[in-house]
Amino acid sequence: MILIQVVLILAFAAIFVVALRSRSAHSVNAWKKIAFAVLMVILVVAVLAPNLVGVVAQALGVGRGTDLVLYLVSVTFAFYVVNQYLHAQEARNQLHQLARRIAIIEAQERYGMERLSVAESAKTTPAPEADA
Amino acid sequence: MEDVAFVVPVYNEETVIGSVIESVLETCPHVVCVNDGSSDASADRILEAGGYLVNHPINMGQGAALQTGIEFARLLPGVTRFVTFDADGQHRVEDAVRMLRVLDTTDVDIVLGSRFLGEAIGATRFKRLLLKAAVRFSNMTSGIRLTDAHNGLRVFNRHVADTLRITAPDMTHASEIIELIARNKYRFVEVAVTIDYSDYSVAKGQPAVNAVNIAVDTLLRKVSR
Repeated sequence: MILIQVVLILAFAAIFVVALRSRSAHSVNAWKKIAFAVLMVILVVAVLAPNLVGVVAQALGVGRGTDLVLYLVSVTFAFYVVNQYLHAQEARNQLHQLARRIAIIEAQERYGMERLSVAESAKTTPAPEADA
Repeated sequence: MEDVAFVVPVYNEETVIGSVIESVLETCPHVVCVNDGSSDASADRILEAGGYLVNHPINMGQGAALQTGIEFARLLPGVTRFVTFDADGQHRVEDAVRMLRVLDTTDVDIVLGSRFLGEAIGATRFKRLLLKAAVRFSNMTSGIRLTDAHNGLRVFNRHVADTLRITAPDMTHASEIIELIARNKYRFVEVAVTIDYSDYSVAKGQPAVNAVNIAVDTLLRKVSR
């Protein structure tokens, strides 16, 4: 084995282990985990048998193997960006709802207003309406 | 006007917010000011002037501040009518009073201020053109026809206050409110209002290039729904 192959495969293995051992792994969609594992296998195969990538590229009509890899990386990156953007928006919405609740409770205390029961306070942040 | 609550989003407005609150208090006792993480003394000015202070622990944007203010105002006993009002002094209380009368005497749910039915004092020609373009864009994307898409002066009833749910935290909320009017089938009408473009409100207002952000966000909301 060439040194670069060893380095790359060790790097992939390390990323895989870190990703699966992270505490938040439970909340990650099962399909995403499977896709990630498949991606790792493909990467290892591509590193061990570089010619195979060229064959696949030829079969798909792409030409060179490096082009195929570049296209796949582009698609993966775009997917990653969109995914991260949606996650960030979701996290921001949750943060805002939490901060809003704090602001309202604090103001209610300042003006000696009655605190809401749980049922009533649920009304202050109605669930998003289902699309028609 | 015990049953009316003014909702005012406030972000770094220490020099003007006091006088805006005082002018509202002459006609309406409930002025809900949402201090959106200001770094100046806005919160102190609000308390001194006698507005309700609702303090965002962090800066969340004008749309988020409006939503917070509406949710707090709903909890004030006896409040059935709501006014959204800008903190920089560009709106006139008498316009709001006129709009409240329209809300009472017609069967609409929400009354929207329009500077193109009324006067825009001190607006540059470029600002006018940009706002007209915004209106055309809004009419195309939201499905309802208005003459002014980004006017902060609105008057609405309890039904709207209970069901409005603004999720766009930043300046895009104006377009989102119009989309919600269409989706929730609120009955609406536009009323001519006067906007005073003082040097202060122009300096505080959003830069024109922000129109790009609003357009992109609006289209993104369209495809994500």
